[in-house]
Amino acid sequence: MHRTYGCVLAGSVARTRRTDTTGELPEAEAIRLAQQGDVAAFERLYHLHSRRVYSLCLRMVGNTAEAEDLTQEAFLQLFRKIATFRGESAFSTWLHRLSVNVVLMKLRRKSATETSLEEMTEPDEEAGSRRRDFGAADLQLSGSLDRVNLQRAVEQLPPGYKAVFVLHDVQGFEHNEIAEIMHCSIGNSKSQLHKARMRLRDLLHEALREKAREERKAAGTNAGAED
Amino acid sequence: MPPFRCKEFHSYLEPWMNGERSPEARAHLRDCPDCRTLVGDLEAIHSSAHDWGLAEAEPPRRVWTALRAQLEAEKIIREPRTETGGWFEAAFRGLRRPALAGAYVAAVVAVAFGLSGPVTRHFNHQRWLDGTQQFTLPANAQLTTAEQTAVSSFGEATPDVTASLHQNLEIVDNYITLCEKTVQEDPENELARDYLYGAYQQKADLLAQISGRGGYGR
Repeated sequence: MHRTYGCVLAGSVARTRRTDTTGELPEAEAIRLAQQGDVAAFERLYHLHSRRVYSLCLRMVGNTAEAEDLTQEAFLQLFRKIATFRGESAFSTWLHRLSVNVVLMKLRRKSATETSLEEMTEPDEEAGSRRRDFGAADLQLSGSLDRVNLQRAVEQLPPGYKAVFVLHDVQGFEHNEIAEIMHCSIGNSKSQLHKARMRLRDLLHEALREKAREERKAAGTNAGAED
Repeated sequence: MPPFRCKEFHSYLEPWMNGERSPEARAHLRDCPDCRTLVGDLEAIHSSAHDWGLAEAEPPRRVWTALRAQLEAEKIIREPRTETGGWFEAAFRGLRRPALAGAYVAAVVAVAFGLSGPVTRHFNHQRWLDGTQQFTLPANAQLTTAEQTAVSSFGEATPDVTASLHQNLEIVDNYITLCEKTVQEDPENELARDYLYGAYQQKADLLAQISGRGGYGR
C-alpha cells in the first residue's frame, strides 16, 4: 500500500515536495528528500524497491525469516549511505549491489569461511571430477522441469553462481548491470552464468535420475508385496 | 565453413544462449541429437527461471516497521514524530523480529504487574490474528465484562489494594488505547496488531488473576 505524498508532511520539506500525476513521490525526489532525513521519502523508496530486494534475498537464501532480515539489513545500509549517493549509477543498481553483498556476506558467514568470488563459483574446479559430457544426457529436462525442482537445484549452487543466475535469469538484469553489481567484467558475468546453467543442468539430471531410481525401487517393492 | 563438431558447439553454447546463431552452429544442431538435447535443457532452465522471476513476493509489513524503528534509533530519520507513533515504536526500537518484540511486551507488562500463574483466554487468538480492527470491539467488550466481574468480586479488599488494582488496570488500559490507535491508523501493520493482542492478553491475565484470588492483593 503506497501512501500519497502531496499533503502529508509539514515544514520546509513539504513546501518543496514534488509529486507525479498519481500523487506519488518520484524516485529522484524521494532520494533527495531521503538525503534530508524525510521519513515519507524513505518509505517511498522502500516501497518502490522492497519487492525486488526481498525476492532476490528469498531466492538466494530460500528462507523467509532470513530473507526478511537481509532485506532490512540491505535497506538499512542503503539509508545509512544515502547522503553519499550522487547518481553516478542507477539507484536500483546501487541498492542491488548492496543487497547482493549483504546476502553473500550472510552466505559466507554460514559456510564459516571467507571465500573469494572465484572460490564461490569454482569450488571443485581443481578436483575436475564433475561430469563434463555435455551432450550425454539420459533424460530430458524439457517437460519435466518445474519451479520447485529448479529452486531446489538453485539452492545447491555455489553462492557466486547463484547470485549471477538469480540476477540474470530470474530477476532479469542485463550483464552490464550484473557486472556493476558484482564488481566483475561483463565477460565474467556471461561466463559465470553459463557455468551456473550447466551446473544446474547436472543437478537437475541427478535429481531426475534419483527420482527414477526411487520409482523403480517402489515398483519393485510393490511387485514383491503382490507376489 | 564446415559444420561444428560437438566440442566446437559446446564452446559456442554461451553465445548461442545469448542469441547468436552462426550457420555452422545451426548446421551442427540440425544433425546432432545430443547437442539438441543440451540446448533444450538449457532453454528449459532459462524458461523456468523466467517464470520464477514473474512471481515476486511482498515482504511482510513488519520489515518496514522494524527498519523504520532502526532508522529512528540511529537518527537517520529526522522528521518529528507524532506522540503516539513515537511512544509506540520507541518502546520496540531495535527489536528486529516480532517474536522478540512480543517477548518484550510480555516481559514489560509482567514486571509491571508482578504476575505469574495460569492464563485464562477471554478471546480467540487466531481469530484476532486473522482479522482486522473489527475485532477490537468484541475483544474489548469481553474484557469490559470480565473487568466488571473481577471488580465486583473486589468489595472486601482494602482501600490500598483497590487503589492499586485501579492504577494497574489504568496502566494497561492506556497501553491498549495507544495500541488500538496505532492499529486503527495502520490496519495492515501486523506488528502493531500483535502488540495490541499482547496488550489484551495481559489485561485478560490480570483480570483472571484478580478473579482467581477473589480480589487483587489478597
